[in-house]
Amino acid sequence: MAKSDLDNANPTVLSVSQLPSRNLAKGHVRKGPDSKYDHILFPKQWWAGSSLNTDPSVWTSDEDEDDDLTLATEEPIDEQEIYGENYDPSSCTYLLSTISDPEHPVTLGQIAVVRLDDIHLSPSPAERLDPNTLTNVEVDLTPTVNHCSLATVIGLAVRVRLENALPPNYRIIVRMKDGSHAQDDQVNKQLGDKERVAAALENDTLKGIIEKMLETCV
Amino acid sequence: MAAETTTAILAAPSATTAEITPLPAFSPDLYQRAWASIPHPSLPLIATCHAHSVTVFSLSTLSKHSVLTGGHTRSVRSAAWQPPRGKVSGKEAKRLRLVTGSFDTTAGVWTWDQGRREERLEREIRLQSGEDNKEAEEEEEAEDEWELTLVLEGHENEVKSVNYSPSGQYLATCSRDKSVWIWEDVGNPNPSSEEEEEEEDEDEWETVAVLQEHDGDVKAVAWCPDVPGRKGKYAPPRRYGDDVLASASYDNTVRLWREDGDGEWVCVAVLEGHEGTVWGVAWEGRPRENDKFPRLLSWGADEVIRVWSLKEPEEEEHGEGAAGGGNNTWGFGVPNTMRRSLKEEWECTAVLPKVHKGDIYSVAWSTETGLLASVGSDGVLALYQETANTTEKNEENETNGEAPTTTSAGGWKVLTTVKGAHGPYEINHITWCKRYDAGSERKGEEEMLVTTGDDGVVRPWQVRIQ
Repeated sequence: MAKSDLDNANPTVLSVSQLPSRNLAKGHVRKGPDSKYDHILFPKQWWAGSSLNTDPSVWTSDEDEDDDLTLATEEPIDEQEIYGENYDPSSCTYLLSTISDPEHPVTLGQIAVVRLDDIHLSPSPAERLDPNTLTNVEVDLTPTVNHCSLATVIGLAVRVRLENALPPNYRIIVRMKDGSHAQDDQVNKQLGDKERVAAALENDTLKGIIEKMLETCV
Repeated sequence: MAAETTTAILAAPSATTAEITPLPAFSPDLYQRAWASIPHPSLPLIATCHAHSVTVFSLSTLSKHSVLTGGHTRSVRSAAWQPPRGKVSGKEAKRLRLVTGSFDTTAGVWTWDQGRREERLEREIRLQSGEDNKEAEEEEEAEDEWELTLVLEGHENEVKSVNYSPSGQYLATCSRDKSVWIWEDVGNPNPSSEEEEEEEDEDEWETVAVLQEHDGDVKAVAWCPDVPGRKGKYAPPRRYGDDVLASASYDNTVRLWREDGDGEWVCVAVLEGHEGTVWGVAWEGRPRENDKFPRLLSWGADEVIRVWSLKEPEEEEHGEGAAGGGNNTWGFGVPNTMRRSLKEEWECTAVLPKVHKGDIYSVAWSTETGLLASVGSDGVLALYQETANTTEKNEENETNGEAPTTTSAGGWKVLTTVKGAHGPYEINHITWCKRYDAGSERKGEEEMLVTTGDDGVVRPWQVRIQ
């Protein structure tokens, strides 16, 4: 982005490099030649293409702080940010609700597959004194059809989205909401299996589907 | 990334203190998820699987030795070094061989011919003193020195684990296709120094078994090491070959496999108890008192580590076994109808104190000290010690339904834990290996731990026991 844009008062057009990192400690940022899913989703780091909150007031400038800083002034990530409160399709501030349904031209938020009430963080943002605390993000999905064959794909897309968007101290648990899906257990087990998820994302067909679902997020 | 170390002091019977301190990570940093790091059985080398390749690090310089690339189209999940076969000498002894298991459904057999690179090898073996900086450039050209000499095809889905039997005769591979394959190395089995010139590159493998009894992905395979107990007086009657293979699965079970008198590989035991995917299995490599049969560890998504022991055979069975003891293979031909009774009885004799919150991905059992170390998705590294032979049961065991029932059950104590051993990242693998770096007081003898994480860091840890 051109230098002149950097002074633009409109926060929604802040250049990637200007957005402060929400990552919790610089020492933990891992930029490498071949980061896991970058090729699928974003050519940049998560906080660039998918900033969690475009309100610049919540960001603190961490540029000059020490590596072992604790971003005490920064608000912890909460459920609303993960869901994408205040749905506005023209903005790119939403993590989950804007993911597209693999079959229909609607988003997961629109058809209530992802619901704010079914996203839980533990420990809750208020309890997280140390930003390095491992935090569980539990997302219970409600597939639209009982025998939705695409439940696994949707779950995978949600998991991929969160893995890429959240700092590394987040542990993501994606499940089918109790009773909403006939093969809950199998799907949940599969989605919780790191090795299977990693292998699935190396499958070109599946990768294509997920890429398409996530197009509406950026 | 200051790792937070806590030291716990053990109460009686043996007051032991342990301290785990991080050593400098291997360089370079891999900057991407690394799955596992496998130390060479005798040389100061360790092979780390990451993305489509394997990076071999030197344990003396703690830096990159060579890279295996271009052989796999998807991630390499596991690797195994070929153990020394019999009394090898000459060129055979200088050849490195590594097998890789990949998500691309194949296993690759890689060969590094040391013959032409004696100097390099010597440099690695020579416990070097630190003035080798200019050799950094040479490392680059090392990348093509590994040759993919054979591709083992057969699995339908991702290969998750590969492991050599202690003699190097067999290789086991396992996959998401729910099967375990056993391959036999039939290429140039007796390399005599005379014929070697022409035959040394001959690779030939035969599939000797395809085992399909698991109901889910097979996550890991491990061969029982060749310790005295494997053939000791407590070993089961010798109707089977010596090799024992354990497999861990997504179906929550562990299975044990042996070759019967007809050359068929059969499942001799199913170990049930885990309430989630079993991520791995590890055999006891330290000889036990009275040459008891090695025990087996299993761990998994249920956050539990279990110790399994072979139930000692009944007296009469035992007698039969002893009678067959002189037979160097598997004794008597047994009719198919009797096979059922040949199942081995294994029981869970201990459950380790619970430390991890989240999947346990890897546990390493020291052949030197008998200490256990575990890692998992919670980023914690935990060290455990078996308390002296006692009938006292672990309190944690009791809540688990599967509490050990026999007096052979030992207790286990947590010696110490390290939180955030790879910062906020998950840790995929842990192994014990010998230290050869300049900082070691007893090179080639002192043991250290090496952890491998999602952050692409391969980190050695000094372990001090008092």
